[in-house]
Parts: sequence; structure tokens; C-alpha cells
Amino acid sequence: MESRYVKTSSDAVSFSDGKPIAMKVLSPKALHKTKAGLVKLDLRGDKEVAAAFGVLKKKAAWLKPYDIVVQKMAHSGVEAIIGGRMDAQFGPVIMLGLGGIYVEAFKDFALRICPITSYDAEQMIEQLRSKDMITYNGKTKRLVVDLLMKVSKFLVANDDVKELDLNPVIMHEHGYDVVDIRILK
Amino acid sequence: MSRVDLAQIMNPKSVAVIGASRDPDKVGHVILQNYINAGYDGELYPVNKSGEDILGLKTYKNVDQIKKSVDLAVIAIPAPFVPGVLEECGKAGVRSVVVVSGGFAEVGNTELEEKIGQIAMKYKMPMIGPNCLGVMDPRSRVDTLFLPTYKLSRPSIGGVSFMAQSGAVGSTILDLISGEGFGLSKFISYGNATYVDEADILEYLMNDKDTKVIVMYLEGVKRGKAFLDVARKTAGKKPVVVLKAGKTAEGQAAAHSHTAALAGDFETYLALFRQFGFIIADDLSDLLYYAKVLVSEPPPKGNHVAVITNGGGAGVLVTDALASSPNLKMGVFSATAQKALRKAMPSIVSIRNPLDLAGDADYQRYGTAIEALRNDPGIDMFVVVALFQTPGADSKLAAELVRFKDNMDKPMIVVSVGAQYTEMHKVLMESAGLPVYDSPAAAVKALSALLSYNVYKNRKR
Repeated sequence: MESRYVKTSSDAVSFSDGKPIAMKVLSPKALHKTKAGLVKLDLRGDKEVAAAFGVLKKKAAWLKPYDIVVQKMAHSGVEAIIGGRMDAQFGPVIMLGLGGIYVEAFKDFALRICPITSYDAEQMIEQLRSKDMITYNGKTKRLVVDLLMKVSKFLVANDDVKELDLNPVIMHEHGYDVVDIRILK
Repeated sequence: MSRVDLAQIMNPKSVAVIGASRDPDKVGHVILQNYINAGYDGELYPVNKSGEDILGLKTYKNVDQIKKSVDLAVIAIPAPFVPGVLEECGKAGVRSVVVVSGGFAEVGNTELEEKIGQIAMKYKMPMIGPNCLGVMDPRSRVDTLFLPTYKLSRPSIGGVSFMAQSGAVGSTILDLISGEGFGLSKFISYGNATYVDEADILEYLMNDKDTKVIVMYLEGVKRGKAFLDVARKTAGKKPVVVLKAGKTAEGQAAAHSHTAALAGDFETYLALFRQFGFIIADDLSDLLYYAKVLVSEPPPKGNHVAVITNGGGAGVLVTDALASSPNLKMGVFSATAQKALRKAMPSIVSIRNPLDLAGDADYQRYGTAIEALRNDPGIDMFVVVALFQTPGADSKLAAELVRFKDNMDKPMIVVSVGAQYTEMHKVLMESAGLPVYDSPAAAVKALSALLSYNVYKNRKR
């Protein structure tokens, strides 16, 4: 996703260039941004962008040090979460879940021990009750398999990563957008 | 090359029982008695401080007085004395040990446990235990279990091996297996896994030619990476059925990410099992259900099931269970089979799957039905419901089903629900290698597991 740190509201406005953008506060003190009201989505027009910057800056005041980041709005599509965790016994573990907030509500997710094979990645998708959300087209399935393999490689190569969330990853007709990444070392 | 060789433990030419006793209430007495009862034909050396003969056998005061090679020493003495005795064993050249004594890390004595682990490793003596039942192998007649045979029946010789940390679960399973027809290859209860651990045992069973199916009850593993290395290879060689205990949320409370919150310890184990083709049991009874189908049935070539029954309701229950199975499907009879069935069956029998042979079906009607369907390309597996309460079902039916089993290359399992009369026929069929289930749901679960294992084994990589 095309993103940029911004210091002022005019930075944000020039980044948006008339197109819809998202804006969020990044701070080590706020791990759950949406819950804390630190994410503004689909901001349209210079006025709305500038106003949102003002609101977030105020909200973030007690979260120093913080950054404000702007992103081009992701395409709409199926939301997935791909993550990783360092298991004390077995090393890096990779996770796939579908459907944003529903992943936790329905506990519908698949795990594997890294490194995974493409067979494992396919089986992770197969295991999900919600698999039809992405298997309706072969291209999306291939993209997810591809992304899982990349994340597995990343986790194996970076054994200092304790926890990782790619959340959400939005899959749409043109490919996928990784909207947010959280890494804990 | 394995880290340890368990062959000495499972098939010893000579066994010393340290802590053997004349007192029938002592663990060391029961162990010695069990060796005698089992007809163990290697050398047996009771060791007891008094040196008085026990159960008519020459008894030694110390292991070093034996002066002959000892493949296995079974140690059943109070924990504080174990380090000293292990040293003696090491110096006397004992090749391997099973420490059944408790009183180590499980009650907080971690230092004592580390000490015995170090002694065993120093002398390169593979050690099973402490705090365990030890091992049993009906082929080599090794039996270190301190539970008398009148309380705990011992299974016959077979192809299923069982490994468990817990002695109590282990002995329960062993008792249950003895009531099944399929028999036992190896039983290993390894307790605290101080030296010989899950990875060692799994590797040993993977390479053991007498073991066709591995069943394990797991609370955790001692060496994660070593276990992974073995687990990765095992299901390619033989089926593994696993029951994982400890569904706790420990460690998840501190998780910061969604992934860590979801991917707890228990889920990670399940993931590992799925990834490497293990069959996950949800309960103790599942272990037996899965083991018996996996040890006796050939690999299915597809997922289409034929249901043959002498009870309409039972046929529907099997059909319902199949419909909710993740991988099985009701088969459709081929035109040839339908024609043959129509010709042979009385008019009350509708020719469709499930095939209800009616309540008066006898062994011949079953035989005709199976004969008509056995080569049907649209049928890969058979569930035969045989309700022995009906007028036509008797011992001839049990014999007929066994006869087909012996001449069929497609999996076939039986569902028989009932009390004594049914139970008797169940035993007859199972001892001939035909798996019998006491519920439609259990039977379908078992076939489903048989299919998933073979799908995993033949997966494209």
C-alpha cells in the first residue's frame, strides 16, 4: 500500500491529491488502533482530510512518541489476516484467517509450523470454514498461497520476530493490499 | 542415526529387576511375577538387598554381583536410592534402564531428576522414566508394568503400538486394547521423559517393523525441534493417531497480536499434527476406533461408500453421519450392480444406497449383496450394518462377513449395536481382523480418518 508519514495537515492533503485516503496514528502505546479510534477511513476532499488530521493529532497527544500515517484507500474485497508467532517449542508458526473481525469471533483460522510447503498453504485455506470466500476464484487462492509462502520465509529468516500480524490483507480483483502490519520483536 | 537405541529395552536377552521383593504388595514383586507369568524366556535376575531367593529365582544383593551381561534393568526402589543404583548399573555395564519409581520432578524434586538423567547419559544407558509404567511387548514378552494381570488384562500380539506419558491413561488404554481384536505391538509409558523422550520413541516406533499403527497420548514434548524432525517423516511410513491433553489457554493472556491470541499452545500442536498427517482423536475411545480401522483395512481408492443394512433406521443413521462427514460420500450403484441386485433380492428390497436388506436378511442375502457390489467401480468402501437382534442374523453372518473381508481389496467395516449376543459376534469378527463399531457415528468417523490418512500419504508434493 502506498503510504507516507505526515507532519502537517497540508502534507496529508497533498498526499491525497483529491483521492480517498485513510489516516492512522502509529504509537507503541496503542496496539489496537481501531478500538482506540485512531483510524479514519475513506477521507474524501481536502476539508475532510485536514479535519481528520486535526482530530487525530489531538487524540494522539498522550501517545507520544507517535506518527501519523496516510494511505491510499485499499480496494474493497475480502479481508484476511495472516500472522505469525514464535513458538518456544516448534519455532515460527504461521496463521491464516478470513473475514476481519470475524476471525476471532468464529475462531476460524488455520495454523502451520514454518517453513510451509505450497501443499501446506493450500491445506490451510481448505481447513477454513469460510474458505469459499476466497476459493471462488483460482487467482485469489494462488495469491493467498503465494503470500503465505512469503510470510513463512520471512518468519524463518527473522527469528527475532515474536509476533506478526498482517491485518487486514484485502483481496480484490486486482490482487491484494496489505493494509496494516504489526511486528513485535 | 537415532540418539538412543530402544531395542535393548524392548527386546532384552536378560533383565534385572532391582527392588524385587518377596512381599506381594511391593511393586518389585509384581514386576517380577509378571515377567514369570508372561513366560519371558531370557535371563531374569532379581536384585534385593537381602539376597534371599524370590519366587524361586536366585536373587542378587547388587547388580554388580550378577557378573553377566544385563540388557535391561527395571528399577523399582524409592527415589532417593535411584542415583546410587543407577551408578552401580552403569559401572556393571547394564545396557538400558526403566525407572518406574516416582518422586522426581513431578513432585518438585527436579534436582534429583536431573541427577539421574546425567548418570544415565554418562554411561550411555537409555533410560525410560522415571515415574512411569515402562514397557510391554507381547512378542518379546517384556513387561515392566507393576500392575498385576488379574487387574489389567494384557493384549494379544498385533500391530498397534501405544506411547503415553501418563501411566494411568496408558494402563487404561492397554486394558481397553486387550478387549479389542487387533492386538498390541509395543506399549511404552515413558513418564517424565528425562532421557528417552517423545521424539526418540516416535522414531523407534516409526522404524519398528512390527508396528503398523502408532497411537499416542501426548501432554507435551520435551524437545520440540527433534520431535518436529521425526513427526515430519512418520505419517509417510505409517499412520499416527494422537490424543493431545492440556487444552489450556496458558501463555495466551500476554499475547499482543491477533495471531498470538488465537494461536495458542494447544492449537499449535493440532496444527503440527494436521500438517504432518497425524489423525487427531478427540477422546480415548477415538484412539481405539481409529487404530482398528487403520491397522486392518486397505487404502481406499476413492471416497464413495456403500451402506448395506438389515435395519432401515440404522441405515439412515449411517447415511446421516456420512452426509455430515467432511470427506465421505454415498456411492451410487452401477447399472450392472443394480441389475444383479434386482435379480437376486426379494421384491421388498429397494435397490438403492443405503441398501436395506430387510429384517429377515440372512448371511446369504448379505453375501449376495456384497458380491454384487464388491467390484462396482462406483463403490470404494463398505459399511455393513449387522444387527444381530434380527431373526436372520446369526453366527453364519459373522463368518460370511469375515470371509468377504479376507477376499476384498476395499475397506469394509461393520456396525453392530447390542449386548451379549452382539458382543460375542463382535469379538469373533474382530479377532479375524474385521473392525466392528458400536455406533454409526463412530464407524463413519473411522472411515473418514482412514481416507484422510491415505489422502495425506498420497498427496502431491
